[in-house]
Amino acid sequence: MPLGGIIFLTIFIAIFGTFLIFLARAIGGQRKDNSAVKRDIYECGIPSQDKKESRISVKFYLTAILFILFDIEIIFMYPWALSFRDFIANGAGTPVLISMGIFVAIFVYGLWWEVKSRALEWD
Amino acid sequence: MTADAFLFWFLAITTIAGGITVVSVANPIYAALSLAFTMVSVAAVFVTLEAYFVAGVQLIVYAGAVMVLFVMVLMLFDLKHELEAFARGKVSGAIKLLTAGLLGGLLIGAIAYSPEGSKIAVGANQVAVAGDPTKNLGYRLFTQHIFAFEALGVLLLVIAVGAVALSRSKGGTHGQR
Amino acid sequence: MGNDIFEITVNSVKLIVVFLLMVQAVPILVWLERRGSAFIQNRFGPNRVGPLGLLQLLADAVKFITKEDFAPDKAIRKLFYAAPVFALIPATLAYAAIPMSLPFIVPAFEMFGSSWGPYKFLVQGYEIGVGIVFILGVSSLAAYTILMAGWGSGSKFSLLGALRASAQVISYELALGLSIVGVILLYGTFSLSDMILAQQGPLQFVAFGYTVTSAVSWIPNWGIFYQPVGFVLFFAAAFAESNRLPFDLAEGEAELVAGFHTEYGGFKMLMFFIGEYGHMMIASGLATTFFFGGYGIPGITPAELQQVILSWGFSEAAAGGLNSLIHFLSYNVKFAIFLWIFIQVRWTLPRFRYDQLMDLGWKTMLPWALANTVVTAIAIYVVTL
Repeated sequence: MPLGGIIFLTIFIAIFGTFLIFLARAIGGQRKDNSAVKRDIYECGIPSQDKKESRISVKFYLTAILFILFDIEIIFMYPWALSFRDFIANGAGTPVLISMGIFVAIFVYGLWWEVKSRALEWD
Repeated sequence: MTADAFLFWFLAITTIAGGITVVSVANPIYAALSLAFTMVSVAAVFVTLEAYFVAGVQLIVYAGAVMVLFVMVLMLFDLKHELEAFARGKVSGAIKLLTAGLLGGLLIGAIAYSPEGSKIAVGANQVAVAGDPTKNLGYRLFTQHIFAFEALGVLLLVIAVGAVALSRSKGGTHGQR
Repeated sequence: MGNDIFEITVNSVKLIVVFLLMVQAVPILVWLERRGSAFIQNRFGPNRVGPLGLLQLLADAVKFITKEDFAPDKAIRKLFYAAPVFALIPATLAYAAIPMSLPFIVPAFEMFGSSWGPYKFLVQGYEIGVGIVFILGVSSLAAYTILMAGWGSGSKFSLLGALRASAQVISYELALGLSIVGVILLYGTFSLSDMILAQQGPLQFVAFGYTVTSAVSWIPNWGIFYQPVGFVLFFAAAFAESNRLPFDLAEGEAELVAGFHTEYGGFKMLMFFIGEYGHMMIASGLATTFFFGGYGIPGITPAELQQVILSWGFSEAAAGGLNSLIHFLSYNVKFAIFLWIFIQVRWTLPRFRYDQLMDLGWKTMLPWALANTVVTAIAIYVVTL
């Protein structure tokens, strides 16, 4: 695997991007009035309000955790998909199919339970 | 210095630098991003050991899912008052030294007393057939470790139930229904 | 990266060329989008600057560079400036792994006093054995761009937009990863070049011990005939991955101003869009590779084409180069068709609401992708008994 090529490309893009940003900073001009209002963040035209109490929903955490779990399950399907034909050719197709079928059944049960318990509503 | 040695040292330095940045920087989001960078670096180290599929899985699951969870959750909090890197005090300092010493001792012992047969040959000259280690992984997974494989599915289910239950606790935005 | 200095140089230059190719394709795509969308909406697009408005993007790029570049007061400067640069990295790394044409052999030649041996020139950035796993892994790093941009802007709007956009991206990564399992079952390999090689020749497969070949010889052995549902799921999930309509809640103007790139202006904004168009190009490239035979031409295999070219009187090496060029054109035609489909869909369908979007990803696409995998596995099992 061409690791050297990948690392070279990453470093090249990082340097190129940084160079472009420096170029933009150097070439771009500056307005005379560098007022504080211009450098404030955008909040639909009103002065920005600093709300002390802002509770962001826990749905983001749930989405991320469920994503990790289902991602791991999908990752386990990759070696199976790769060697499935070899297993069939060696005559061991049936047990492999059944064991993966059990795994998929557990996956589906998890998905169904999560939908039924309304864990991902209103996201 | 051969290309392999140069690659190894480069990756080792980036991994260790990433790791040290995680524990020494004050802002927790910088720490999480450095940890993500360390995970990507470890994936590159896996590639030099010719474990290509494991490297890909490290990228997809660890750097692309778990660390995204960490960073997302850290952004949900407002952590302005957590920006002190090291806690001061004699007791905490002593505990830190003790833990670091134990960990260092474990590492040195493991390296010094490991059997000779566990040397991994970094064969960049051999042309590894694409997917062959992965096919081996597939074979082993379905013959020797089939029970662990199914148990993993059940374990993931338990984690899902636990996560949903945790988010339903009192006071959360997903409270009583 | 190659053994001798010649290979290292050629590979480095090739990587830089692939990166610049991706960056330079963006102005063409934006022009296509603006003109195409204009004709869809029954108006003219840019048609003043240059012939057919082709220099419009050059003018826009100059305008972007000469804009003032500043960061808001509340922004975290390191993350604010790092996010656009980081946007380019996953897109380019993944795009460089897609094979764009037939590899051709450069014969031994003399230069600078020593002979450089025969060298196999791959028309792609680099060749990865575990191609698809690497591409998925690198694309999943795109979530960090969004999070860094949202947090680095220091604004609640940006942060909320970033969280919603990253939740959308990771939800559709599941459907994306799962829709490809059917293709892997079919071809038994992760490597993209091997998949393209398996899709050459006319449509034929082995069923119950008989080899079934299609009577019409110009129908190729493409993946779309074996995995139609997989193609639809993959393409739809790719829309969500690159934040294109109908999934572009991250940029939905009426909802969150401009989501995680509200506070960005000038060239940094352009770099975000290079990343977005880069993801579009990856999706188009992967769709042609998995389901439409990659650089293959229906009706003729590369070996046959090589014989045809040799019969026109070219030398061996030149015939190889010409063969590669023709296949590169074929790849680009399919690639352009998919990019046009991206643009057409953007200006045809209305935007989804956020909860509809998440419901679609988790409750519709994921079960369908699972069903596709199970049916494919059972079909392969039954057919090879």
